[in-house]
Amino acid sequence: MNMRPLVSLRNVTVVYKVKNSELTALSNVSLDIMHGEVVGIVGRSGCGKTTLLKVMAGLIRPVRGEVIFYGKTKKIGMLFQNPLLLPWRTVLSNILLPIEILGEDIEVYKNRALKLLEMVGLKGFENSYPWELSGGMQQRVALCRALIHKPSLLLLDEPFSALDALTREELWTLVQDIIMHEKCTTVLVTHDIREAVILCDRVVVMNGRPGRIRAEFKIPFRRPRSLELQYAEEFNEYVAKVRDALND
Amino acid sequence: MTRPDIVSRFRFPSTVIVLLLVIMVWEVIVYMLNIPPYILPSPSRIIITMSKYSQYLLMNLVSTLTSALAGLAIAALFSLLLAMLLSYSDSLRNAIYPLITGFNAVPRAALVPLLALWFGLGIMPKILTALLIAFFPILVPTLTAMVTIERELYELLLSLGATKRQILIKVALPRAMPYFLSSLHMGLTGAFVGTVIAEMIASSNGLGYVILSSTSRLDTPLAFSCLFLLALTTIAISKALSIIERRVAGWAYRVSV
Repeated sequence: MNMRPLVSLRNVTVVYKVKNSELTALSNVSLDIMHGEVVGIVGRSGCGKTTLLKVMAGLIRPVRGEVIFYGKTKKIGMLFQNPLLLPWRTVLSNILLPIEILGEDIEVYKNRALKLLEMVGLKGFENSYPWELSGGMQQRVALCRALIHKPSLLLLDEPFSALDALTREELWTLVQDIIMHEKCTTVLVTHDIREAVILCDRVVVMNGRPGRIRAEFKIPFRRPRSLELQYAEEFNEYVAKVRDALND
Repeated sequence: MTRPDIVSRFRFPSTVIVLLLVIMVWEVIVYMLNIPPYILPSPSRIIITMSKYSQYLLMNLVSTLTSALAGLAIAALFSLLLAMLLSYSDSLRNAIYPLITGFNAVPRAALVPLLALWFGLGIMPKILTALLIAFFPILVPTLTAMVTIERELYELLLSLGATKRQILIKVALPRAMPYFLSSLHMGLTGAFVGTVIAEMIASSNGLGYVILSSTSRLDTPLAFSCLFLLALTTIAISKALSIIERRVAGWAYRVSV
């Protein structure tokens, strides 16, 4: 990680029109995401954290403020709670979908797709269909799809919340390994405080109506972090700090 | 993968047994109550009539089949293209869809005399009536499947810079395929209904015409022969459609290829 920002949000305000009334989803939010940084955004449901992610993805235009993207090309990888794989495509073909959309040569990326599959532990599943795989396996495929085009910014929107506890912890380790390997700047939206602390370099706490940033915590643990870190006293101190900020 | 078979419900032994049972009861009732054939012919009499008029019936069946299948094919193509067009643009859909729904409420049988007036008594009114009845049940599920892509999937595609055309071709169209193909079954019955109605009102051939002319002569066994043939033909085509469905969109039924 170096200290040049990749994305800067400056006084971003987002307003949704709901019938005749207006709902301020984000109010005056400023945030820098540094190159190579893993930033967690935690908050209660409806606090605007997903909106913040969509603003970074360029899917929502703020009514005030600006989003500055530093870097040559803005390539975004996204992963949601639901794997959203296309059931008529094989695993390999699903992973290559972003390449087709970007109009790049599929043959060039085939090897990368197979390598990513191997990294997530699904070697040999390239010709399977998504519905032949378990939920956790599908989410791994979706992770490969999010990374295939070497995105400069990886946006994760509660990607582990639909999984069982054991699979979730497995995927934490996996995502950490992959992010380290790909050196991918990552923003993780979650309401699981432990997840944010174990995965992120910095945790941003938001509160809602209107969505604002309440606090930020740097999480200094060295990588790679093991799951045992969860039992460390220091780890739990950070979890407590984030929780306190959420409850304020 | 074993899954309940929802495409083809044809269970050979049980279906045949029930069918044979119904035919036997029918035969017995007609015999016991001494029902005259011009009211209700017995199954054996219908079969005899069918073989006696086989040449004539076959000729008219081909005529009906040609119109119904042509109507269905045009309806399928038209519905698919219209669904693509309407899924492409929200404002176009809002403008045109209510008109199509309104048109669907018009009894198509009432249009046959007009179609005959414009196109004569040939094959055209038959195909057009089949088309007009068949297209709506194909259009609705196809369009619905195209416009109900998961919001997050849509956003994922947009974040990659996907164009509307790419989303249509790579996601909406394949997603709609199983719905389109299964709606062809409903379109099929609609196309046959349309053709037969047009034949009854404005034609001098086809099974619809034969039903009308034979009942006016009180030749009820011949009319029943036509009904049997229509039912058998529709079942056969429906079965063929199911096979195509499995081939083209087997993924929707989670069938490993």
